[in-house]
Amino acid sequence: MMMYAAQQPSASNSVVLVTGGSGLVGKAIHDIISRSDDPEAEHFGRRQGEQWIFLSSKDGDLRDFEQSKAIFDQHKPTHIIHLAAFVGGLFRNMRQKADFYRDNSLMNENLLHLAHLYNVKKVVSCLSTCIFPDKTTYPIDETMIHNGPPHESNFGYAYAKRMIDVMNRSYSEQYGCKFTSVVPTNIYGPFDNYNLEDSHVIPGLIHKCYIAKLQNKPFVVSGTGAPLRQFIYSMDLAKLFIWVLREYEEIDPIILSVGEEDEISIKHVADTIVSTMEFNGEYVWDASKPDGQFKKTASNLKLRKYLPDFKFTPFQTALQESVEWFVNNYDIARK
Amino acid sequence: MSLLLPERGSGLVGKAIQEIISRKSDASESERFARRQGEQWIFLSSKDGDLRDFTQTKPIFERHKPTHVIHLAAFVGGLFRNMHQKADFYRDNSLMNENILHLAHIYNVKKVVSCLSTCIFPDKTTYPIDETMIHNGPPHESNFGYAFAKRMIDVMNRSYNEQYGSKFTSVVPTNIFGPYDNYNLEDSHVIPGLIHKCYLAKQQNTPFVVSGTGAPLRQFIYSMDLAKLFIWVLREYDDVDPIILSVGEEDEISIKHVADSIVSAMKFKGEYMWDALKPDGQFKKTASNLKLKKHLPDFKFTPFQTALQETVEWFVNNYDDARK
Repeated sequence: MMMYAAQQPSASNSVVLVTGGSGLVGKAIHDIISRSDDPEAEHFGRRQGEQWIFLSSKDGDLRDFEQSKAIFDQHKPTHIIHLAAFVGGLFRNMRQKADFYRDNSLMNENLLHLAHLYNVKKVVSCLSTCIFPDKTTYPIDETMIHNGPPHESNFGYAYAKRMIDVMNRSYSEQYGCKFTSVVPTNIYGPFDNYNLEDSHVIPGLIHKCYIAKLQNKPFVVSGTGAPLRQFIYSMDLAKLFIWVLREYEEIDPIILSVGEEDEISIKHVADTIVSTMEFNGEYVWDASKPDGQFKKTASNLKLRKYLPDFKFTPFQTALQESVEWFVNNYDIARK
Repeated sequence: MSLLLPERGSGLVGKAIQEIISRKSDASESERFARRQGEQWIFLSSKDGDLRDFTQTKPIFERHKPTHVIHLAAFVGGLFRNMHQKADFYRDNSLMNENILHLAHIYNVKKVVSCLSTCIFPDKTTYPIDETMIHNGPPHESNFGYAFAKRMIDVMNRSYNEQYGSKFTSVVPTNIFGPYDNYNLEDSHVIPGLIHKCYLAKQQNTPFVVSGTGAPLRQFIYSMDLAKLFIWVLREYDDVDPIILSVGEEDEISIKHVADSIVSAMKFKGEYMWDALKPDGQFKKTASNLKLKKHLPDFKFTPFQTALQETVEWFVNNYDDARK
């Protein structure tokens, strides 16, 4: 049994709204709060009197104030996990900076302002390590977000996300609101986006390997495999989101990640995918393709201070589950 | 037909722009900065619509179909209000700026010139500050709501330019002064505040007491000069990146010199003293005007003495109507 900091009993009749509820993280949160057979369910599962509502874009366009207000009127949330965002791969980010800035800003401004108007007790929004300053020292930590401009390629998205933190602090100082945010490192898990153009590295490689196996072709991975990255399994992230919602009291963001000691090379990621998929075809590296940055370490010291004993799912297990989900759900997977 | 649409036409800078485009007799410069053939200038105020509301802002674009916009409208306030209303300052300014720029894009406006401020620059910085430094670190704590909202104008200018080829740009004035200023004793900037204070001291036969030692140096820009430069930026400055509009470092003026000039312009004969116990503020906050100098090496700023005299006279003659 894991030991955690003293817990407050949850208020009766909480209504927890999750925006972006049908995505990678939303699905994981849904999974975690529903588990009743997990030893951790007692800690992270749905509590007495908690109602969880998972929204998707079908429920309303959050860029529109009136549609957003209607959602608040209908559900009267007491808590919000705000995952909804306009996201895209490198290409779209580079070409649509105005749209990425505007659409995300409108959603975030509407959501936080309505949360203030409706006296929502807590909002947890989702930032990203890609919004940090381009020129920086490593490891990056929570205090560094605004210390310089983000990378040119996605500055529309990056600034819109940064302004969540600016609004969190503004609403806290002016109105005493408890709006905060988390900064996950590279997330992976079931229900991801597996689009070969747009996806992140793990789902992209899973999809590529799947196709190589299906078509009896070589599985070719770009680069040398040397770069190191911190990955976080969506199920672990979901547990931490729930902990942040219930117990993290700071307005300042918190990085949610494995530590530097658990960074994994892209080669190890690809090797693991190959073995998990039982891919027996030709597996090669195209070292003429760029590697990207060697290390981009984010510090998880703040998380470790709060939750020294939190156990992340071992990478092998998490990746196995992710690959199995994809293979079993290929037809409905987003790609 | 060009249609020009300055906003917040009732403020310090808007009034100055109105004045400059109307001047016929200002020697050689009237030709350069005055209204041109085929230009229609429309000055808006908050009565024309709430720019935070997209459904009120769109009709303004629909009705006037501007080809150019000078965007001066902003929610501003003194230190106290900024410190205590950060969420409002962030939200209200962001909503206005997002609406204006997006509608300018939708209505194919050829050029938008927005107004930033030196107070949005990073708190921890080297001097002189220049146009490349705006996003290099967080702004001062006291007004970060306002500061970030203003910074996002530059982010949007660049985003719309990269995605849509829009020509949206911005200027960074240093400390502006002139007629039609805000002379509120709590909220105002240093020159109008001291003018008002001295006026009251003269009226009431009380001492004119100025806070601090008078040592700090500042760059001031007369609203009439700023107006001319705004018009030049609108017509001829083609960068999307901001441009600092200011006198050079060599023309920085001490607060003591400002106060002395006010005392003499007002012909104040009473007791004039300094309360050196009050804080001075930063000694120097020099902003570089090299970019402006490169574009307009021969631009002549109105001498401070003249500009201040005109400003004081306006205040004295318009005391009842002045914003205070």
